[in-house]
Amino acid sequence: MNYIQVCWPAALCYHSVRVFTTTCTGEGTYATVFKGRSRTTNEIVALKEIHLDAEEGTPSTAIREISLMKELKHVNIVRLHDVIHTETKLVLIFEYCEQDLKKYMDQHGDRGALDPNTVRSFMFQLLKGTAFCHENQVLHRDLKPQNLLINRKGELKLGDFGLARAFGVPVNTFSNEVVTLWYRAPDVLLGSRTYSTSIDVWSCGCIFAEMISGNPLFRGRDNQDQLLHIMRIIGTPSDAQFQKICKETPELQIKQFPRYAKMPFQQVLPKASPQAIDLLERLLKFDPAERISAAEALSHPYFTSAVAPTPFGLNTSPGSMAPPSFNFPHPHGHQAAQQYHQQQQQQQQQQQQQQQQHVQHLPIQYGRQPAMPMYNQHPQAPVQDPMAAAAHAAQAQARAHAQALAQAQAQAQYGNVQFAPPQNYGR
Amino acid sequence: MASILYPLASLSQIEKTPSREDGIPEDLEEDLRAYGCKLIHQAGILLKQKQVAVAAAQILFQRFWFVSSMKQFGVGDVGMGALYLASKLEECPLRMRDLINVYDLLLQRASHSLSSKSDQDFRYHPMSYFGSTFYELKDALVLSEMQILKRLGFNVHVVLPYGTLISYLRILGLDKNTEACTRAWGYLNDAHQTPVYALYQIPTIICAAIYLTAMHLQIPLPASSPLSWWELFDTNEEDVLSVSGHIMRLYRERTAEERRRVVGLVTKKEVRRWLEENMTASK
Repeated sequence: MNYIQVCWPAALCYHSVRVFTTTCTGEGTYATVFKGRSRTTNEIVALKEIHLDAEEGTPSTAIREISLMKELKHVNIVRLHDVIHTETKLVLIFEYCEQDLKKYMDQHGDRGALDPNTVRSFMFQLLKGTAFCHENQVLHRDLKPQNLLINRKGELKLGDFGLARAFGVPVNTFSNEVVTLWYRAPDVLLGSRTYSTSIDVWSCGCIFAEMISGNPLFRGRDNQDQLLHIMRIIGTPSDAQFQKICKETPELQIKQFPRYAKMPFQQVLPKASPQAIDLLERLLKFDPAERISAAEALSHPYFTSAVAPTPFGLNTSPGSMAPPSFNFPHPHGHQAAQQYHQQQQQQQQQQQQQQQQHVQHLPIQYGRQPAMPMYNQHPQAPVQDPMAAAAHAAQAQARAHAQALAQAQAQAQYGNVQFAPPQNYGR
Repeated sequence: MASILYPLASLSQIEKTPSREDGIPEDLEEDLRAYGCKLIHQAGILLKQKQVAVAAAQILFQRFWFVSSMKQFGVGDVGMGALYLASKLEECPLRMRDLINVYDLLLQRASHSLSSKSDQDFRYHPMSYFGSTFYELKDALVLSEMQILKRLGFNVHVVLPYGTLISYLRILGLDKNTEACTRAWGYLNDAHQTPVYALYQIPTIICAAIYLTAMHLQIPLPASSPLSWWELFDTNEEDVLSVSGHIMRLYRERTAEERRRVVGLVTKKEVRRWLEENMTASK
């Protein structure tokens, strides 16, 4: 017999009575959030109190949040500990996080911009959480800095699954009214109802750029204006590209758009390293089919080639939260720690090789198909698309040059500073 | 992984459902489940609701009776709650008032068929806009939605069979055979009136639908043991036959008395009264 029998519990444990000392920490659109302490575990928790409305019944945001988050157990996803269900309200008990990414950027950033190491660490954790959702067939559909929570240890966690949904074998179209405008993917802006994981990847790209610069990348007023903002930076797709996108998602309505040329990201984000720019390019592809997947992005050289992280505290003001311990370069975090250390050495060697490789073969077009992490497994022969290679050859040279320059600079800058001791992490 | 598998009833839940613990006979429970699902289906048609929401509602409805008794909840209210909840989950929410009106119509029509005037044409008497009937039904709706969530522990994830059916038919080379496709699709829809979606995973149910189709249309498919076609879809003969049996039982001849019985047992009050009468009768 090949089916798996799963029993559903009669209830989570609604009747477990716990008393909390509470203070109100925030009020959302449909819920009030309190901070509390569990009497049974003595842990600090966040309590989200949702009033049940006689007009609507149980809010669908609450249903989604509970049914999905209860299954998603991962360090980079806010943990739902328990649910208390009474006649008039629903209380969700979450793991407590100090603040959200938006506030973190305001407090710790330089006019909102975070230092490169923090960006890298947060980006890695964001992609890790997103990849985990996707692996478990859940779309978040509302990734934005306000929904990413940061705790005292510098861990980033995906929160607010009120718009999330499960996906599988498609039998139904999805709602088009998803994701906060500034983080909404162009295919959704054009009316897609058959989108998939790539819409979360787009949001990740927007957040990445925002962490680097301190400002949201695309700030449109409405759907149409948002599309124009996007095209002004990543360029208007060619007619052939539009036709291809339309063929894959027939429900899209494509009007005439002004022709904008692509702006180099280096110009938009002068602070970003060449590798960061390369990753950003792959995250922010207009065509959803060309967008990198969250899992693939984790093995991008932006993460894997970070051999010796520069010390923390270099750009952060004293007393600020330290970024977390790095769990990259290797993206497969579920491996045992020992294995990880062994691998690290191998990897460092590999990476050095790959880095050279990467400079040579930069314009590899990642589709969404490769299941293997491209950079780790194939040091000798990356599959090349000759067309793409030709088209990008000049660009690649320029980029390689820039990269070499940046690396030289980085070495000069950080060469003498010692690795920060781990005691600094917690406070 | 979360999406492919969904919760199934445990062996002890199947052996003794809460309704049977309360003394409701097995055949009556089976009939009431089927009748509740028919009401959901009819309401879905009148409301022009998408089939995905209707099917999801029927699956939640079937699951619910493995954790709750019909003595505690009526099949009418729970069906209404399940349809309301499933419509939210499938992103095509319904207006409460529309749903309540439609259920009211269906139940009035059903009780008309039982009454002494059943030879006359049925006339619907709409409830008054601010009348107490509406508010009572609304409370019942909110309550049953909440009870479904609570008793299923918010495990409201369902997997619908339609997309997978098409790929199976394609693999078997039956996708061009319109009659076979329609028939298999129909069996899958009818299967919602049985508890199979809470007992087996999707591949088994689809194989049963295809199996019945092939039998009825006399389409030859390799069925001898090591190479039988359903093994391609990770299922086995025993399960396929069991699901087929559940589906075929729906079409058996029913007496007028059996058909009438379920119509009068839509609410928990009626079920309780029935239990009292029949318990004392058996003593």
